[in-house]
Amino acid sequence: MTDALEVDGLSGGYDDYDVVSNIGLTVGASERVGLFGPNGHGKTTILNAISATLARRRGTVRFFGQPVDRARPQAIVAAGLIHVPQANTVFPDMEIQETLELAAWTPRARAARAENLDRVLALFPRLAERRRQLARTLSGGERQMLSIGVGLMCAPRMLMLDEPTLGLSPKLKDELAQAIATISAGGIPILVVEQDVAFVLSLVDRMYFVNHGAITREIGRRDAVDHDEIMAMYFGAGATA
Amino acid sequence: MTLDALATVLVSGLVMGSVYALMASGLSLVWSTLGIFNFAHGALMTLGAYLAWTLAGSGVLGLPPWIAMLVAVALVAAVGVLLERLLIRPFYGHRAMLLVTVMTTLAATVFLSKGIQLVWGPRLKELPALAPGNVSILGTSISAQEALIVGVAPIVLGALWAFLRFSSTGRGIRAVGQNPQAAQLIGIDVPRLFAIAFALAAALAALTGILIGSVRLVTPSLGDEPLIKALIIVIFGGLGSMAGTIWAAYLIGLAEALLVFTIGIYWAPSTLFLLLILVLVLRPQGLMGKVVR
Repeated sequence: MTDALEVDGLSGGYDDYDVVSNIGLTVGASERVGLFGPNGHGKTTILNAISATLARRRGTVRFFGQPVDRARPQAIVAAGLIHVPQANTVFPDMEIQETLELAAWTPRARAARAENLDRVLALFPRLAERRRQLARTLSGGERQMLSIGVGLMCAPRMLMLDEPTLGLSPKLKDELAQAIATISAGGIPILVVEQDVAFVLSLVDRMYFVNHGAITREIGRRDAVDHDEIMAMYFGAGATA
Repeated sequence: MTLDALATVLVSGLVMGSVYALMASGLSLVWSTLGIFNFAHGALMTLGAYLAWTLAGSGVLGLPPWIAMLVAVALVAAVGVLLERLLIRPFYGHRAMLLVTVMTTLAATVFLSKGIQLVWGPRLKELPALAPGNVSILGTSISAQEALIVGVAPIVLGALWAFLRFSSTGRGIRAVGQNPQAAQLIGIDVPRLFAIAFALAAALAALTGILIGSVRLVTPSLGDEPLIKALIIVIFGGLGSMAGTIWAAYLIGLAEALLVFTIGIYWAPSTLFLLLILVLVLRPQGLMGKVVR
């Protein structure tokens, strides 16, 4: 079976400076994969390079076998590779339901709009309660739910989530983790960026460690990773001593 | 103030307010979608009026005034698409986009108004009236043309509101104005919607220019003063708020009529400015603007 996402030799950045270089990763057709590592080491840039929201990039990206590394962002969305960005405020002066309906923008998404809306409102009952509220009035957790809901309205064949639980309470984190597990159980492959190792471990089958703009390690679920090793990855070997 | 005088003030305030609302709405649309001020808005008004003149009875082609107006509006919308492509699109994402586009749209103003002088010459033109004769509203007699403006403005503004609120293109325009990055990630072709918003604003400018031109005479500087007024109205109403712009337009129209009536035509403009400055000192975000932008 074709992998959902195959990335090879992907580099990119801003102005003359590469933030990430020579990234290679794969996400299987119904797999959950994590990207973790310290802040400011290029995890978000990798997602931006894949969704073509980063202007300067090179390398190959295949989505279900189709090359998308030269495609424009809207073509990538139309193909079903959906990027849910970090701390997305979505559209502050739009109502929740209006936002969700609007998010079904591409023809494929529009065709499935009604059923996807039901799905999102069932997955996040809080959004259903607040469907006439403006997005700017939502709390941090609700905004994150809206952001993921918007991603689902795009009729994803794969989701890329950038720190979906950033700044949330443990209770809300659990709620979102469950929602993400539900989405993935529906057969949608997921690539999730996280800093919280415990959280990402509970969520994914496999993960990549991103350090200084490169993938330096791949960790399977069965590989036991102990605390010291993670500390070593984050802070260098000296930290474990 | 007698009741008759009050009616006169009200009617002339409504006429002015309607014109202001129409011309400022396009400027407001461009600001809240693209995040720039379009200084060519006034020149587009002038262009619309001249094109309508050429197309209509008194001009070369002799079309009926209504048809001439619609064709002129469509042509100016096309010019809007061209301006967006040439003068604004190259600078999307530029650090100083706001300032660069001040320059480019001002340059467009110079080109358009000099071009208009070159093509149509400096002589005044008279547009045929869309509605001839006079009518009496609240005991005040105004030209049917002015009455038409008072009637057309709410219809056009209502249509604009409904388009932005309910149509999917209109919703998309609001989305790219509020968060272009998020809009891109749901598959919206952001530059295309910028172009549509800009063309729509140009069409509104042309419509206003034609309506003004059919009340006054058409001159190469027809749009100059309205541009300044429209800028003030958009700022006074609150940047980024279309409703604020429209309220501000009618409020300023009525205030101006009242001032002209009470203290006379010489002191009215400066007193009006003083009032606006005072309001903005007390409420810097304007009538309905957001505090942070």
